[in-house]
Amino acid sequence: MRRVAITGMGAISAFGNDAPLTWAGMRAGRSAIGPIANIPTDLLNIKIAAEVRGFDPAAHFDSKRIVFLDRVAQFALVAAREAVAQSGLEFRASGLGERTACIVGTGIGGENSHNEQSQRFYGDKNPRVHPLAIVRVMANAPACHVGMEFGLTGPSFAVVSACASANHAMAQAFEMVRSGKVDFAVTGGSEACVTVPTIKAWEAMRVTADDTCRPFCKQRRGMVIGEGAGIFVLEEYEHARRRGATILAEFAGAGMSADAGDIVLPSADGAAKALSGALADAQLAPADIDYINAHGTGTPANDPTESKAIRRVFGAHANNVAVSSTKSMHGHALGAAGAIELVAAIGALRDSVIPPTANFIDADPECDLDYVPNTPREKPVRAVLSNSFAFGGLNCVVALRRI
Amino acid sequence: MSSVQDTIFDIIAKEAGIDRAKITPESTLKELEIQSLDAVQIIFEIEDHFKITLPDRDPNFDTESVKGLIDAVEKLVAAKAATPPAA
Repeated sequence: MRRVAITGMGAISAFGNDAPLTWAGMRAGRSAIGPIANIPTDLLNIKIAAEVRGFDPAAHFDSKRIVFLDRVAQFALVAAREAVAQSGLEFRASGLGERTACIVGTGIGGENSHNEQSQRFYGDKNPRVHPLAIVRVMANAPACHVGMEFGLTGPSFAVVSACASANHAMAQAFEMVRSGKVDFAVTGGSEACVTVPTIKAWEAMRVTADDTCRPFCKQRRGMVIGEGAGIFVLEEYEHARRRGATILAEFAGAGMSADAGDIVLPSADGAAKALSGALADAQLAPADIDYINAHGTGTPANDPTESKAIRRVFGAHANNVAVSSTKSMHGHALGAAGAIELVAAIGALRDSVIPPTANFIDADPECDLDYVPNTPREKPVRAVLSNSFAFGGLNCVVALRRI
Repeated sequence: MSSVQDTIFDIIAKEAGIDRAKITPESTLKELEIQSLDAVQIIFEIEDHFKITLPDRDPNFDTESVKGLIDAVEKLVAAKAATPPAA
């Protein structure tokens, strides 16, 4: 079977506007969660998030282009430019774009534009809605703009599965490259979900923390919303090797499942099925895995369930595998989460450093794994799993291997 | 039965889909086998009905039991009545 290499990586997150800054923040164990600064907070009870700060769209796009781009598409484009530049592939000039898929996940899509237009219409009683509202709001816009920028004319679409959107998108892109349907893919996830109505909606559900995000720890009070994007270039392995590309990691496999149970409460069975599916697909044994980037939202429900699922699949090796939630630092970027967390997975493989679970105080007896509390750990990392478990019970785990 | 209690019983029965006769002031939401998402909806409907905001995870308010909810609502409704509306 064909193998799949990752030859480009780009990101934008609360740590900064590129992948090196994003990895450096995680690697240092520095939490980028802070007071919300980009939107008014007077109507909010939860006043913290992991926002992308100091992002100036005009530094990246000319004014004719910006009118087409919601913040979610801007993030995707900035990350895609970084990833494609790193890959060294000239998709348009060389004609490779014809053999390239472009699949970008998002949980919510053009939320900022949706909110702006609703405010104009209902709030300001302005009957004129912007003529580009539709193309800014549509959830496939990030995939379309990335494809247009680089001339990618293979299969292209968005994947929507809430907090698992990025992992599902990347898994789909991986399958296409592995099967030979395409030779390359530009894929990942993007989210720009910090608006007053979305934060209010999370507040109403009572699953967000008001202090900070403390996954797997006894004092955890819930998740903290983040935003950003992660975009990667996947390439058929032999092609990457022949042209002497820098291979960041091998995309080795993916496991997907659905709980088909509760719309919010996760099931250990569903998570375990995705974990064991990823191992089988990548032809990896539990003992081959040195690090799991957990879904680790910091909610009461997720963390014990995820721990139980890992223990079930990993058996005795569960005590040896390092498990951390980098959401403790970059927040929960919903449909971009798995993509930002793939930066952590790649960083761990390449630098032999496990990014920690930050903000950790006391262990919760219901969470009994090695969560790498607070301090990064140097350790050789041969293979990694990265978990995403979405509302709706949609699970996707991806497996990466060091080259 | 106070009207606040009456309304809260109605809301719990409707949102959780349970027999109203099973609810007593002494019941906790857990004893009534109310799932977390149903509990969140009950709190929302109570807030919306009385136009109040119930505190989230405030140790001075007990929102785990029916009696705690009734007391909290009565306290907040009284506080609201004592505050003159903004001009």
